[in-house]
Amino acid sequence: MGGGGVRYDCEVTAIGEMADEFFAAGIVVLFGQGVPEELADFAVVHRPSVTDGGLQPGDRIHLGATEVVTVLAVGEVADENLVNLGHLSLKRNGESEAALPGDVCCDEGPIPELRVGDRIRIVAAS
Amino acid sequence: MSEYKSVQISAGSGGWGGPLTVTPTDDKPIIACITGGGIHPVAQRIADLTGGEAFDAFKSTVKFDRMACAVIDCGGTARVGVYPMKGVPTIDVHPTSPAGPLAMHIKETIFVSGVKPDNVEEA
Repeated sequence: MGGGGVRYDCEVTAIGEMADEFFAAGIVVLFGQGVPEELADFAVVHRPSVTDGGLQPGDRIHLGATEVVTVLAVGEVADENLVNLGHLSLKRNGESEAALPGDVCCDEGPIPELRVGDRIRIVAAS
Repeated sequence: MSEYKSVQISAGSGGWGGPLTVTPTDDKPIIACITGGGIHPVAQRIADLTGGEAFDAFKSTVKFDRMACAVIDCGGTARVGVYPMKGVPTIDVHPTSPAGPLAMHIKETIFVSGVKPDNVEEA
């Protein structure tokens, strides 16, 4: 994929009741629509428009209009989860190696207050 | 009344937890597969050996109180904790150990990981 390409683009359709607890821990869990209810409870559920995937360190993830995080490490099953299920475990933990196979580790910082209608985009480093 | 059999499910290479014994019942007949992309071979084998019903939980809804067990392919944060939290025996096909905000729910008596079809045996 060429530099600056969009790897994933989606619009938030629902935010689970328990998602805040994950945000407070610096974690955002994404799932596509059709996710079982018990998982939707703590997830950011969304409708994707681009699902090309190909996640790599250096990619930038736009969380809503203002917050941009940089990907530092990508677990071995993270890209497969994203493309197949719209599932991503984004962790703003500053780690340069993924401790768990589903992790997408990003630079440290806050998780913004996401709302229904916000866009989440993953863009390749240019 | 249906006749169900038990299986014993052990951790695979690099896996954690278990072994778990899973026996479907008339109240909990469902081998829920929460992996996307259809029925995972591990879920199919559990269903074949027990007489339970393999079910793709991404295709349609199944209540967790109908699940004999949940088969997941979680990379370690979300699905890995939710089903144990709900009291559903959970089988992760990836070799994941307890971690994340839900880690306190993940116990070796209700969770086993790194599971391949060969790790599912008649009990």
